Amino acid sequence: MKKLINRPGDYVDQALDGLVAAHPAMIRTGTAGRVIARAEGARKGKVGVVSGGGFGHLPLFCGYVGQGLLDACSVGNVFEGPNVQSCIDAIKAADGGAGVLKLFGNYGGDRMNFEMASEMLDFEGIETTTVLGTDDIASAAPEEAQKRRGVAGILYAYKIAGAIAERGAALAEVTEVTARANARVRTIGVALAPCQVPGAERPTFTLPEGEIELGMGIHGEPGIWRTQMMPADQLADEMLNRLLADLPADAGGKVSVLVNSLGATPVEELFILYRRVRERLDQEGLQIVQPMIGPYVTSMEMAGASISLFHLDEQLEDLLRDPADCPFWSVRR
Amino acid sequence: MITPQTLQDATARAHDAMAVLEQELNQADAVLGDGDTGGMLARVIGGMAALDLSQEDDLGAAFAALARAALANTGSSLGTLMATALTSMAKATKGTPSAEWSDLSPMLADARDAMLKRGGASLGDKTVLDGLDAVATALNGVETPAAAGAQARAAADQALATFRDLPCKVGRARMFADKSIGIDDPGMLAFAKLVAALAA
Repeated sequence: MKKLINRPGDYVDQALDGLVAAHPAMIRTGTAGRVIARAEGARKGKVGVVSGGGFGHLPLFCGYVGQGLLDACSVGNVFEGPNVQSCIDAIKAADGGAGVLKLFGNYGGDRMNFEMASEMLDFEGIETTTVLGTDDIASAAPEEAQKRRGVAGILYAYKIAGAIAERGAALAEVTEVTARANARVRTIGVALAPCQVPGAERPTFTLPEGEIELGMGIHGEPGIWRTQMMPADQLADEMLNRLLADLPADAGGKVSVLVNSLGATPVEELFILYRRVRERLDQEGLQIVQPMIGPYVTSMEMAGASISLFHLDEQLEDLLRDPADCPFWSVRR
Repeated sequence: MITPQTLQDATARAHDAMAVLEQELNQADAVLGDGDTGGMLARVIGGMAALDLSQEDDLGAAFAALARAALANTGSSLGTLMATALTSMAKATKGTPSAEWSDLSPMLADARDAMLKRGGASLGDKTVLDGLDAVATALNGVETPAAAGAQARAAADQALATFRDLPCKVGRARMFADKSIGIDDPGMLAFAKLVAALAA
C-alpha cells in the first residue's frame, strides 16, 4: 500500500511534529514527546481533562486538545495504547491542582497504563478519576454495556467533560456528568475497505469486492455482520435500526448526530448518509441538535463510516452548546 | 543458575527470533484483532535486547531494567502484561545475583498472578496467561536449563493446542467466540513461539 511516509518507525513522531508545527496552540511534551498539551498550560483551579490512546485515528485523540475540550493527551504507537510514562506526563500536564479526569476508550492496554500512572501519581497528591468510552454497540450486548469499546462517540464525552470543567465544576461533578454523557452515546460503524499499519506487509483485514462489514471496530477488528454492498439509504436505515433498538433508559426527544468518515470515505458520501439519517430521525420524532458530519475519528485510510447518536438531556444539551475550540472542532455560542 | 547474563542471552535469542516471527504474528493477530502484535513485540524485544546487562550483578535489577524497556516501548495490553510479569520477577529476585532453575516455576506463577490482577482476564479465557500458567506448572521441580527448556516448550505447545479449539472469552475476540474456535490466540501463539526460540 502506498503511504506518504519516510520510515514506518517515524510515523507517529513525524505526524505529531507536523501537527504542532501547524497548530501553535498545541505543544508536544512529555519524556518521549508523546504528550500533546495546550500551549497555555493547565489553568490553576480547573479540573484537568486528559485522554490518550493509540495513534492512527486523527483527529482523535490528541487533535481534540483545546479550549473546552481536552487539556492533554498521551499518544501511543499505531493502534497501541500510550505507555505508562506518557500517561503520567499527560496527567501532570493537565493538572491545575483541582484533580484530573482520565477519559479514554475502553481498551486493555490504555486501561492498564492509565491505572499504573494514577497509582504512581497518588504518591504525588494528584487526584484522578476515570470515565471509559464505551459507545460501540457492536462490541458487546446491552446487558454487558460496560464491556463495550470506545469509538467515535467518545468525542461527545470530550465535549461535555471539557465544557463542565471550564465552568468550574469540581472533579466529582465533572466525572459524574461525563459518565452520564458517555452512557447516552451509541455508535455503530461500517467498513468498506481496510487500512494497513505502517510497516505491516498486509492490510488488517480483507473484504471481498462488493461486501461490507457492519459493526467493525476502529482498528479493523471484525464486525458482527458481513453483507453485500447496498445503497446508502438502506445502509443508513440498517445502522439506525441497530442504534434505535438500543436506547438509554431515559432517552428524551433530542439527539446530536455524528456521521463520521473512517478516513477514506469522502464527505460527499457522509452527507448522502446524513440526509437519510435526518429523514429517519424526523420520522421518529427526534430533534437533531448540532449535527457533525466529517472525518472526526478515523483509522488511517480505512473506507467506511460510523453513525453516533448522543441522547441529550437539558444539561447535556446546554454543555454541548458551550464554546470549544481546537484545530478540528469549534463550537461558538 | 539464572543470572543477568542468562537474561542478556535470552533477549538476544528472542530478538533474533522476532525477525521471522514479526509478520507471522501480525497476520495471526489480524484474523480477529488489529494486526499489530508482531510489530509491537519486535519493538519491545528490540528495546530489551539493546540493554547491556553484562555489568549488572543484581538479578532483580536486570529484570527491572527489562520491565522498564518494555514499558518505554509500548502501551499495548500484551506488552504491558509482559512488563507486569518482569516487574514481578524483579521483586522476587531483588538483591540477589542469581536464581536457581528450580525457582523459575514459583517466579512464573507469581508473575501469572500479577498479570491476572493487572489485566483483569481469568485463566481459561484463551490468552497468553493460559500458556504461562501451563509453563509455570510444568517447570515445577525442574532443576536444569535443558530440562526447563524442554518442559516449557512442550507445555506451551500443549496449551496452544488445547485452547485452539476453545472459544476466546475476553477482549474484542469474545464477540466472535465462534470464529475464535480453531484459531490461535495471538498472545498465546507469540508466547509459545518465543519459548521455542529460547529453548532451542
